[in-house]
Amino acid sequence: MAETSEAQASASASAPGGDAGQEEEKHDERMLECNICLDTARDAVVSMCGHLFCWPCLHQWLETRPSRQVCPVCKAAISRDKVIPLYGRGNTKQEDPRNKVPPRPAGQRTEPENNSGFPGFGFGEGFHMSFGIGAFPFGIFTSTFNFGDPRPSAAPRGTAQYEEEQFLSKIFLWVAILFVLWLIFA
Amino acid sequence: MANIAAQRIRREIKEVMKNEETAGASIKLELIDNRWTELKGEIGGPPDTPYQGGTFILEIKVPETYPFNPPKIRFLTKIWHPNVSSVTGAICLDILKDQWAAALTLRTVLLSIQALLAAAEPNDPQDAVVAKQYREDPHMFEMTAIHWTNVYAGGPTPVFEFNQKVRVLTEIGVNEQVARVALSTYHWDIERATEEIFSIYP
Ligand SMILES: [Zn+2]
Ligand SMILES: [Zn+2]
Repeated sequence: MAETSEAQASASASAPGGDAGQEEEKHDERMLECNICLDTARDAVVSMCGHLFCWPCLHQWLETRPSRQVCPVCKAAISRDKVIPLYGRGNTKQEDPRNKVPPRPAGQRTEPENNSGFPGFGFGEGFHMSFGIGAFPFGIFTSTFNFGDPRPSAAPRGTAQYEEEQFLSKIFLWVAILFVLWLIFA
Repeated sequence: MANIAAQRIRREIKEVMKNEETAGASIKLELIDNRWTELKGEIGGPPDTPYQGGTFILEIKVPETYPFNPPKIRFLTKIWHPNVSSVTGAICLDILKDQWAAALTLRTVLLSIQALLAAAEPNDPQDAVVAKQYREDPHMFEMTAIHWTNVYAGGPTPVFEFNQKVRVLTEIGVNEQVARVALSTYHWDIERATEEIFSIYP
């Protein structure tokens, strides 16, 4: 790298329009800036090599060079399936950003709406329990004892939603046990 | 997508202002006509090179699809360098072509061009004549590059012998730039250069 120690400190620039009020950007904030648009990352994803992007920005980069999919920062191999979406606190939707932007015509997986049945339970969004009412006793069983499965929609450990899911799962477990006891002793 | 390009250029200009003021690197970036599609870049010649003390102006054209595609950059200041056309100023640099990455900025690109001035890559030349001289007659190359830096980029070191030879040709009516290119190409041999000039421009 060329080091120009004796060169005069020279930088001139003229920016159009005035966002002069934002001059004082904190260093902390730059940590969360997208490496492509240089703005705060929205629908953030992080690559395996640790670089942060807006998903729309990264998606457009991958579309621009389909034959050469590399990280825009470090040029490590990168692909749609090898980025991790980031969900901050207050981001209630927790929708995978990768499902929103890509105009992939076929095979797009849409999440079911959660307002069917059991309105009284007040499930949080993103809480996907599938148990059939038709096969009530067994359905309860399967849905109850399946909690070990790594579901794609499972909330990340440590979040409020994760706690809520754990709590609800315990309730269902107890309901199921009581139901079995009732079947045996009734 | 023009939005991303315009917003990025605005941020990048700020970035250059902030960084270069503190780092003291000789890089400038200026918008032309307050449009984000065209900018003027400026780099200082790196120390301990024939370009030292010179100031080189670059034309920067930003495509609509920036930063997903690279900016188009060429030297406006004439320069004698294996990877830059001595005629058009076109630059042969991989990151301006297939090695472009969206996280690169105008600042990092200008720094790369500056680094290219310090470390030429004669095996991937833009100007075959210059590259040949660079390989086969390094001293002649260096003197020629110093001369061009002095004449076009405000470099501090005049090469009197070369100035003299250019003057000989301009006094018989040859265009100065034509004379300089011919002399530089033919190792400052006035007879060869004159022959060449009058075979091309009879
Ligand atoms: Zn972005
Ligand atoms: Zn990376």
